[in-house]
Amino acid sequence: MIVQQLVNGLTVGSLYALMALGLTMVYGVLRVLHVAHAAVFTLGAYGGLWTFTLTGSFWLALLGAMAVAVAAGLAMERWVYWPLLAKPTVATLIASIGVFVGLEEVYRLVAGPEPHAFRVTLRINDVRIAGVLVTAPQVLVIAVTVALLAALWLFLTRTSLGLALRAVSQDREIAAACAMNVRRIVSLNFALGSALAGAAGMLVGVYYNSVSPTMGDVTAYKGLAIIVLGGLGSVPGTVVGALLIGILETAFIGFVEFPFPRDAWAFLAMIVVFLLRPQGLLGR
Amino acid sequence: MLTAEGEPTMKRFIVAGLMLVATAVPAAAQGPIKIGFFAPLTGFAAADGASAKHSAEIAVEEINGAGGIKGRKIELVVYDDRHDSKEAVAVASKLIEKDQVVGVVSGSYSMPSRVTAPIFAKAGLPVTVAYAVHPDVTKAGPCVFRNGFLGQVEGAAGAESAVKLQKARRIAVLTVDNDFGRVASAAFIERAKKLGAEIHSEQVYKLGEKEFGPYLTKIKDEPIDLIYHTSYYNEGSQIARKARELGIKAALEGTEGIDSPKFLELAGPAAEGVTFTTNLNRDDPRPEVQNFLKRYQAKAGTGADMVGASAYDAVRILARGLETGGTDPKAICAALTGLKDYHGITGKITRFVKGEVTKPVQIQIVKDGKVRSFAVIDNPEVITPPVQ
Repeated sequence: MIVQQLVNGLTVGSLYALMALGLTMVYGVLRVLHVAHAAVFTLGAYGGLWTFTLTGSFWLALLGAMAVAVAAGLAMERWVYWPLLAKPTVATLIASIGVFVGLEEVYRLVAGPEPHAFRVTLRINDVRIAGVLVTAPQVLVIAVTVALLAALWLFLTRTSLGLALRAVSQDREIAAACAMNVRRIVSLNFALGSALAGAAGMLVGVYYNSVSPTMGDVTAYKGLAIIVLGGLGSVPGTVVGALLIGILETAFIGFVEFPFPRDAWAFLAMIVVFLLRPQGLLGR
Repeated sequence: MLTAEGEPTMKRFIVAGLMLVATAVPAAAQGPIKIGFFAPLTGFAAADGASAKHSAEIAVEEINGAGGIKGRKIELVVYDDRHDSKEAVAVASKLIEKDQVVGVVSGSYSMPSRVTAPIFAKAGLPVTVAYAVHPDVTKAGPCVFRNGFLGQVEGAAGAESAVKLQKARRIAVLTVDNDFGRVASAAFIERAKKLGAEIHSEQVYKLGEKEFGPYLTKIKDEPIDLIYHTSYYNEGSQIARKARELGIKAALEGTEGIDSPKFLELAGPAAEGVTFTTNLNRDDPRPEVQNFLKRYQAKAGTGADMVGASAYDAVRILARGLETGGTDPKAICAALTGLKDYHGITGKITRFVKGEVTKPVQIQIVKDGKVRSFAVIDNPEVITPPVQ
């Protein structure tokens, strides 16, 4: 049963990782807390559902989800974050929260306040390894997450563009002095992070068969706790932090008979990290 | 001189007075009677809020279509409480002060109903409560009347169905961590034990939980006949999906919280065979029930649920009070207190005892994607509300 619960935890953690990566990447290049990222996540779910209703194809829907998310992320970067960059960080933070709340209301007005079903017939089977059951939806979530994370890792470590992105994230001014087009790289960064959030939104929609305007609420603040835990701006740290929180939440429910609110774990972990290792698990 | 001058003034005064009365009386008789209504139209409970609102409107349309109350139409003043206590308090003051309604229908959950009931009670307004379950709602004053069940009644009726009808010997319980969930689960456990079943475990989860993997993995390989869950359609559908996904064969029984087309939609095929306690019987042959189901389908585009049917009844009960008592809140209150043998679409109300009803509990089952009648629990030991 321990392994079985580990599978449950890894699935939830995978979804957290996809969601939080964009946050940490944006923090890396712009040093802003991108709360509206959660609205991008929700938009991905709606975009995916809409594409799926039109085409009936899961993969096209995933592309659709990522496409609308990228468009939304780029629009926010262009019209919200970039113009406010010279202002104090609290201005961008407030703007970001405003965009998040505003977009949730837009989703509610357009799609209605009630949850919509996102029923996809999966053509994959449950996997059983040594008595441990990984159900078809879990296989899907873990497989898509691993594929996207691997692609991101290859991009960041094996391409010159990825190198430029890391350079900008380390020091925007020096990167600019080295003749890099910082503006384009920041946009690319937003696009990548938003694409991951869009994919996460759609996967959550399919996994729980439910898409609703407020589905980004919990992820909005939990995402922030996870990136602080992992180390602000650290991509591997965020993945480790997300998986850790997923497993911690699941294990507690699985093995302790006490109704401790699961969403509190991310914050408890964040506080502990603040006290013992303020730069985060893998932060520098 | 004095009389000569006084007479015309007096006459004018009387004429003016008569004219005032003459114009005022028909105006009052023709103007609509305002009834207040609130429900969670946005937020997580939005589907329930919409259902309550559609159904309350159907009731008002029917009453007005049949000539209104003694020739006066009813006007429903609708507000969204967003399932937020601060918002609900604001709504209550608006209904009392701005709209000056003569009575109020709660189409909302326990929390907004519970914070507003004392405000309406203080203003002396009669309130009918569609489906909110918390015991405190009716304790706010002598003029609050509940159409739905108390959590205790539902839990005990659920146990009757689980143990006596579905022959469950070992039962696992999943409880939503709010008043309704805790009260209903406690009553279920007590009654199920009394009937000889064994409670394998009770797990409490928080409202809004989406991930039931950890809870259900715990009981996945245990010999359990039935899982009883207090939940709403969001959580209930996740419980059903995850249980089937993990290959759990145990029967699933829920409460009126999952009595919604949204449950069928979100749970998909996993809804099949799920039973739940409620007050609306879709297979009730009475024409008023079947008419309501048809009108609801036409208006909302989905099947009706207990929230809607209860809101419909709550409006009609208040209207009955208006018919007998007129527009004086005290008289409406007296009329409802003395109400006898009222046939609602969610069952017959013999009378209100301290604002509570005694009616049979319906057990409904999902069969071929439709909600059908499974059984009726009418054991007085179970369905009599625990009021002193």
